[in-house]
Amino acid sequence: MAVPDPVTDSAAPLRPTYAVRLLNWSTWAVIAALFVVSVRQTGFSLDGISRGAVDFVRFFGRLAPDWTALPQIWAPLIETLQIAYLATIFGTLLGLPVIFLASRNTTVNGPVMWVARSILTVLRSIPDLLYAAILAPILAPGPLPGVIALTIFTMAVLAKLASETVESVDPGPLEAIQAVGAGRNRMIVYGVLPQISATLTSYVLYIFEINVRASVVIGLVGAGGIGNLLNRYLSFFDYGGLGALIIVVFFVVLAIDQLSVWARSRLI
Amino acid sequence: MPRAKPDLGLIPAAPANVRRTQWLLVAVVLAMVALAVFFLLTMNLPSWSRVQTGLERNALPLLRGFVNPEWGVFELASRAMLETLFMAVIGTAIGGLLAFPMAFLAANNLLGSRLLAFPGKTFLVGVRTFPEILFAIIFVAAMGPGPVAGILAMGINSIGFLGKIFSDVVEGIDPGPSEAIRAAGGNDLHVFFYSVVPQVLPEFASYLLYRFEINLRAASILGLVGAGGIGAPLIQRLQFRRWDEISMIMIVIVVVIIVVDTLSSSVRRRLV
Repeated sequence: MAVPDPVTDSAAPLRPTYAVRLLNWSTWAVIAALFVVSVRQTGFSLDGISRGAVDFVRFFGRLAPDWTALPQIWAPLIETLQIAYLATIFGTLLGLPVIFLASRNTTVNGPVMWVARSILTVLRSIPDLLYAAILAPILAPGPLPGVIALTIFTMAVLAKLASETVESVDPGPLEAIQAVGAGRNRMIVYGVLPQISATLTSYVLYIFEINVRASVVIGLVGAGGIGNLLNRYLSFFDYGGLGALIIVVFFVVLAIDQLSVWARSRLI
Repeated sequence: MPRAKPDLGLIPAAPANVRRTQWLLVAVVLAMVALAVFFLLTMNLPSWSRVQTGLERNALPLLRGFVNPEWGVFELASRAMLETLFMAVIGTAIGGLLAFPMAFLAANNLLGSRLLAFPGKTFLVGVRTFPEILFAIIFVAAMGPGPVAGILAMGINSIGFLGKIFSDVVEGIDPGPSEAIRAAGGNDLHVFFYSVVPQVLPEFASYLLYRFEINLRAASILGLVGAGGIGAPLIQRLQFRRWDEISMIMIVIVVVIIVVDTLSSSVRRRLV
């Protein structure tokens, strides 16, 4: 039989069909149109960028840190990290059962999975700062609404990320465990968990990184942590304190990120 | 031949190293729980009665508001959400444009050594470390409130994320096509435009869309610090606890974000 020769056979290099190319071009056209409309509607211009850049650099010059503010910074900074830590722990504990309800291969039945996934989708579509902004006036200003806000966020993101991992585990061990008569819970504990534990730990660390960043700013809406102090410095135009705070936060977040990245690289 | 009867009672103990790992795991979990309890005890948590009065005063109105969203603010909320969407589009575009060159300046394989890529990588780590809203605060303080401050904050923050992921993509390309072009006499520019760029473009586009999803979420809260978008009308109503109007605004946010997420992830699936 003749083997098609990629050089002489004109049909060999595959070209996308007209329909596919039309779709591609129209996608680009929609994106371009969206961009043009966006620029028009927000009053954005190159002038705006250059002005912003100049203002930004000038402002940064004013942020010469005033290190006498340091003693004020430590306590709220520690509270920030406590909020991130507690939210990560609670969110993980609450999220664990939800992961398996939201995964096709471990869920109870179709409707349960659908409900779990829908709730997660809605929970995830609300930004964490918004949870904090709503909870702070209801509960009491301070770390409590911050912890609850980030716990909800952690749970929703973890369940979403991890349920994708659960759905892609090797089905062999699960079948083997079911074949010897184990129920759903045993299948999860002995079949699924060992396969996903490394990835799961890595996700938790990753979410902890996000939570640290988030807990820095939730204080802006009264939900505890260093954002509170940030707000105070801003409203009193205390740029020296602000500069010191930003530098301290920068290095603390950087250190936690690097530790977490290193730990995650060891895990997977 | 007599067959040996299986001794069901004799399940071998786990090997020593596995048992050690198990003990270690239990110890780590216990330590983590202890730390959590310690934090809870030492933290400045509100008294139970304070929480109770807060709940009594606000929980019912909140629930009532969420069940009965005020349609009077629907038009305002839609217009503000549209502005938010536009902000996210431009912010992502700026981030993508600036991250594109950064990606190549931070890729080990393209620059030929880890040392040359180090400054680029360090810059990207630095940018990523800052929370977006901190940039927004600085821009608002420096140039006044409005969507432009929010756009610039998002644009700068996106460089950190996109630059990192783009450079990972560049480092993961197949060296075959580049070698083939070089073997046929092509120079560095030929390699770049005919081997590197075509290989990375679909993944770049996919991550750009993903960042757009993140930026849309970010843009909807940037207004809390005066950087434009739907956060501004929201924070006003939060101060006056107009739960029915807040509920309407949140519904608009959630619906738009879910629709955009769904569209964007279906396009991303086609891309990669």
